[in-house]
Amino acid sequence: MFNRVQKALATSLACAGAIGLTAACGSSSGSGSGGTVNLSYMIWDSGEKPAYQKSIDQFEKSHPNIKVTIEVVAWAQYWSKLQTAAAGKNMPDLFWDHQAYLPQLAKEGIITNLADDIKSSKVDTSVYDQKLLAEWTNGSTVYGLPKDWDTIATIYNSADLTAAGLTAAQLGSLSWNPTDGGTFVAALQKLTVDQNGKHPNQAGFDAAHVKQYGIALEAPNGQQDWWDFGVQNGCKLQDKAYGSWTVNSAACVQAIAFEQDLMYKWHVAAPGTVTNTPNAASLPQILAKNEAAITFDGDWDLTSYQAALPAGGWGVAALPSGPVGAGTVYNGLTDAIYAGTKHPAEAWQLEQWLASAASEKIVTDSGTVWSGIPSLNSGFIAAWKAKGVDVSAFYTGAQGTTIGYPLTLSGTAFNTVVLKDLNQVWLDQMTPKAAADDVTSVANAAVASGS
Amino acid sequence: MTTTAIRRALLYAVLLGGALISIAPYLMTVNAAFKNTRSLFSTQAWTPASPATFSNFAALWSQYDMSGFLVHTLIVAVAVTAGQVVFCSLSAYAFARLEFPGRDLLFWAFVATMMVPQIVTLVPLFLIMSHFGLIDTYRALILPTVFGTPYGIFLVRQYFRTIPMDLEAAARIDGASTWTILWRIMLPLSRPIMATLATVTFINSWNNLLWPLMVTSSERTTVVTVGISALQGQYASQLNIVLTAAAVALLPLIAVFLLFQRHIVRSIALTGMK
Amino acid sequence: MTDNREGLTTAPARPGDGPAAPTRERPFAGRPARSRRPRRRNLRRTVEAYLLIGPSLVGFLLFLVAPILGVFALSLFSWNLIGTPQFVGLANYRRLASDGEAWHALTNTVYYVLLNIPLQTVLALALAIALNRKLRGGKVLRVLFVLPWMAMPVALGIIWNWAFDPRSGVVDHLLSLVGITGPNWLTSTGWAMPVIASVNIWQYTGYTMLFLLAGLQAIPQHLNEAASMDGVNAAQRFFKITLPLLRPSMFFVLVTNVIGSFQLFDTVFVMTQGGPGDSTTTMNYYIYQQAFQFFHAGYAATLAIVLFALILLVTAGQFLYFRKRTVYDFS
Repeated sequence: MFNRVQKALATSLACAGAIGLTAACGSSSGSGSGGTVNLSYMIWDSGEKPAYQKSIDQFEKSHPNIKVTIEVVAWAQYWSKLQTAAAGKNMPDLFWDHQAYLPQLAKEGIITNLADDIKSSKVDTSVYDQKLLAEWTNGSTVYGLPKDWDTIATIYNSADLTAAGLTAAQLGSLSWNPTDGGTFVAALQKLTVDQNGKHPNQAGFDAAHVKQYGIALEAPNGQQDWWDFGVQNGCKLQDKAYGSWTVNSAACVQAIAFEQDLMYKWHVAAPGTVTNTPNAASLPQILAKNEAAITFDGDWDLTSYQAALPAGGWGVAALPSGPVGAGTVYNGLTDAIYAGTKHPAEAWQLEQWLASAASEKIVTDSGTVWSGIPSLNSGFIAAWKAKGVDVSAFYTGAQGTTIGYPLTLSGTAFNTVVLKDLNQVWLDQMTPKAAADDVTSVANAAVASGS
Repeated sequence: MTTTAIRRALLYAVLLGGALISIAPYLMTVNAAFKNTRSLFSTQAWTPASPATFSNFAALWSQYDMSGFLVHTLIVAVAVTAGQVVFCSLSAYAFARLEFPGRDLLFWAFVATMMVPQIVTLVPLFLIMSHFGLIDTYRALILPTVFGTPYGIFLVRQYFRTIPMDLEAAARIDGASTWTILWRIMLPLSRPIMATLATVTFINSWNNLLWPLMVTSSERTTVVTVGISALQGQYASQLNIVLTAAAVALLPLIAVFLLFQRHIVRSIALTGMK
Repeated sequence: MTDNREGLTTAPARPGDGPAAPTRERPFAGRPARSRRPRRRNLRRTVEAYLLIGPSLVGFLLFLVAPILGVFALSLFSWNLIGTPQFVGLANYRRLASDGEAWHALTNTVYYVLLNIPLQTVLALALAIALNRKLRGGKVLRVLFVLPWMAMPVALGIIWNWAFDPRSGVVDHLLSLVGITGPNWLTSTGWAMPVIASVNIWQYTGYTMLFLLAGLQAIPQHLNEAASMDGVNAAQRFFKITLPLLRPSMFFVLVTNVIGSFQLFDTVFVMTQGGPGDSTTTMNYYIYQQAFQFFHAGYAATLAIVLFALILLVTAGQFLYFRKRTVYDFS
C-alpha cells in the first residue's frame, strides 16, 4: 500500500520538478557575459520609445561594454512600480523623473545627487535652460539634468475655425476677463453651435442640445486648464516651493470660477459630463469628433492629434491672456539615477549622454519633445513644420510668464482631492470657493503631517 | 403556432438578445482593431470599419513584441494550469473523502485565505520573492499558484462530494488503495470539473495584471496584460493598438474554452452507478 | 449527502459502509473512533492524507499564510515601502475609527454587493435552466454567454466607458431610439455604482451560469421524470427538487461570488478610479490607493484586515444558512 502512496508522491514530485525545470529555463541572469554592464532605463511613454531607442543605439555604439534596456511602464502604474521596485531593491538604473514626484523620491533618498559627478566630469550646465535646471536643484543637490520641457497651448480644429470665420492669428491673440469674458468668450461663442445652428449669444439657443462646443477643457489636476487661467490671473498655487497651498486665494478661485462660467454661464465650454477624467474621451478624440473646436493641451500630445486628425486639419495657437497677462504651465523631465545602482559609473555615463546635445537633438528632431537645451528647440519646430504644423506657440508661451509644477510632498493628497472636488465643480455641483477651500485644507493637512 | 412553439420562439429570442449583449463589446473591440486612429475617433464604436486596415496588427507585431508577450503568457498559464489540476485534485480528494486530524481546520483555513484582499498580500509576497532572488523570473509568476489555490481546492472538493460514496466503498472492500481509487474512480468521473478548473485557471492566469506588473520588469518576462497596459499613456493612450492587442489576446482564451467546453458541461450522462 | 463533520445523517446506511465511514452512526463524532480501529491503519491514512495535500500545503504556507501574517504584522507599523517600518502599535486602527472615507468605502462595497449578487445569481440560474435542455445552437450560446468573463479588464474599461459616454455612447443611443434620455451615467454620483454593477453582472453571469449548469446536469433526470409522472407541476418541481439538489453548486457559487464581490477592484480601476466624488470607491480600491498611491502600507494592511473581518462574517453567515439545510442522497 505504501508503494502506491509513494508512487503518488513520486508522481506529484515529478510534476513539480517538471514545472520547476520549465520555470528555471526562463529564469533571469542579470549579469552579462565578460565585462558587459547591463543598465535598465525606465520610461512611461511608449510613444517616445522609438526616439530614445535611436539615441540609446548610438550610445551603445560608443560604449560597447554597456548594454541598455528601455523598460516602458504605463504612467498609471509607473510610480507604484517604482516604489515597489525600491522596496524589493530591484530598481532600474535610470528612470524618468517628474516634478510631482521628485520631492517624495528625494526625501526617500533613492535619487543620486549629481552635483559631484557634474563637477568631476566638467559638465557645462550653462547650455541648459536655467529655469529648468533651477527646478531640479535644491540647494547644492542636483537631481537630474534637464532633458526636455513642455508647456500648454491652444490646439484648434482648422475646419471649425474656418466655418466660424476666424483665423489662427485671431485665435492666438484673445484675452479674457471674469466680467464679460472678453474677446476670448466672444470668439468661443462663434465657435459654439447648437443643433439648430444657433450660437450662445443668439436668441433661441438651446444649451441642452449643443452640437459643437467652442472649447473642451480636460485636466486631472488642472495643469491643462485652471492652472493656466490661474497664472493669467495672478494666481499662486503655493506660497513657496514645499510650502502651503494657497488655492483658495481670490485670484485662483476667480480662475476656477471663470472656467465654470465658460461651461454654465456662457455655455461655450463642454461641461464636466463630457470632459471629466478618468472616463472622458481624450482631447484629441473630442477635437476629431468635432465635439469641440479648440482645446488647451500640452505638446506631449501632438503626436496624438496628428494621428487623430487629418493633415492640415489642426493647428497650434497661443493661449489667451488674462487680467494679469499671458501665462502657461511650464514643466520638464529629467533622468534620475537610482541611488543604489550597482553601476554608478556607467549610469552616470548614460545620464551624461542622454542629457547631451547630441542625444537631445536626436529626440527633439523627431518631434517627440522639446529639448532641455534651448539651442536645439528649433529642431522641434522644424520637425513639425515638415509635418505641416506650426508649433512655435508653445515656445513663445515658454518664454513668457510661467508657473512650474508645484513642488510638494503632499502631491498625492492634492491630486486626489483636486480631481474629486474640481470634477464636481465642472458638473456644477460644487461652488469654486467651496472646492478651493476643501482642496487647500486637505492638501495643507497632508503637508503638515508630512505625507 | 402552438403554445410550446411560441414559448420556444420567445426563449430563443431572449437567449439571442442576451447573447448579443454578451458579445457586443467584443464585436466593438474587434471592429476597433480594424480602424486607424482617425476613423476610430471620428466614427461611432458600432460603425463598421471602412476601409478596414491591418495596420494595427502590423504595428503590434513590428513595434511591440506581441508574439513574445503571448509566448510568455502561454508558458506561465500552461504551467500554472497543469500544476493546479494535479495538486488541487490530490488535496481536494483528501479533504473530501479522507479522515485525518486537522482536516476541517486546514480546509476552512484554506477557504479563509480567499477572504483576505489580495491587493495587500501582494506586498509581503513581493518581499518574499525578493528575498529568494526570484524577482523578474518565471518562477515568481508560476510558484504562487501552481501548487493549488483555495478556490481550486474548494471547487474540486465540492464536486468530489457529489460523487456517491458507494463506488469508493465498494472499491475499498475490494482492497483498493487511496491511489487506485483516486486514479481509477474519482478522476475519470471528474472530467467536467477538471475541465472547468483548467479553463478557469488558464483564463485567470492569462488575465492577471497586478502581480506580473509588480514582479516582472524585463522584456523576457513581460506577459500580455503588462504589455498592453504599457500602451496606455499619461494623457492619451494609443487606443486602437490597445484594443487590437486585447482582441488578439482573447483568441487563445476562446480556443482553450472551446477545447474544454464539451467536457465542462457534459451531456446528460449519469454517474457510473446506473 | 451527509456532512461528516457533524455526524448528522440523513441517508440510511448503505451497503459497503465499512471502515471508510465510521462516523455515520455516531452522533457526535468529528473524529474517527480510534480505540476501535488499529492504530497502524489510522496512521497510514493520516500520512496518506498529508502526502496528498502536501504540495498544496507547502504552497499555501509559503505564498498565502506567510504574506497574510505579514499583513497582520504590517497593520501595526507605518511603512512607505522604502524606508524601515516604524512600529506604531494600534495607531492605524485608531486612525481607521475616525476615517470617514474608509467607512464610506465600506458602505459603497456593501451597496455594490447588494446590487450585484442577487441579480447576477438569479440571471445565471435562469440562464442555466434555459440552457439545460436540448437546444439548437445551445453549445454556441453557451460559449457566447461565457465570453464576457474572458475579457481583459483594460479593454473592457475602454469599451464600457465609450458605451456609457453621454454624447456618443451606444447605451444612450439605444435609449434615444425609444425616446429616453439617459442620465449622465459615469459622471453622476448616483448612477456610477449601478453602472459598475451592471458591467460586472454582464461580465460574470455567464461564468456563474457555467457552474450552475454543471450542477443542474448532475441532477439525475429520473427524479424530475418521476415527479412529473406523479403530477407535480414545473414550479413545484423546481422549488422542491431542483433547487435543493442544486445546493452544492449554489453554495459554491454564492460563497465565491460574494467573497469576490467584496473585493471589487478591476472594474473600478479601469473605469472610474473611485469617482465621481467617492461614489465608486470600494474598500479594496481604497486599500489600493493607500498602499500604492499614498504609500501608507501599514494603514492599507489595517484596512485589509477590516475588510477580511467583514467578509469572514458574511461567509460564516452563508455557511450557517447552508448547513441547516441538508441535502438528500440520490439513490
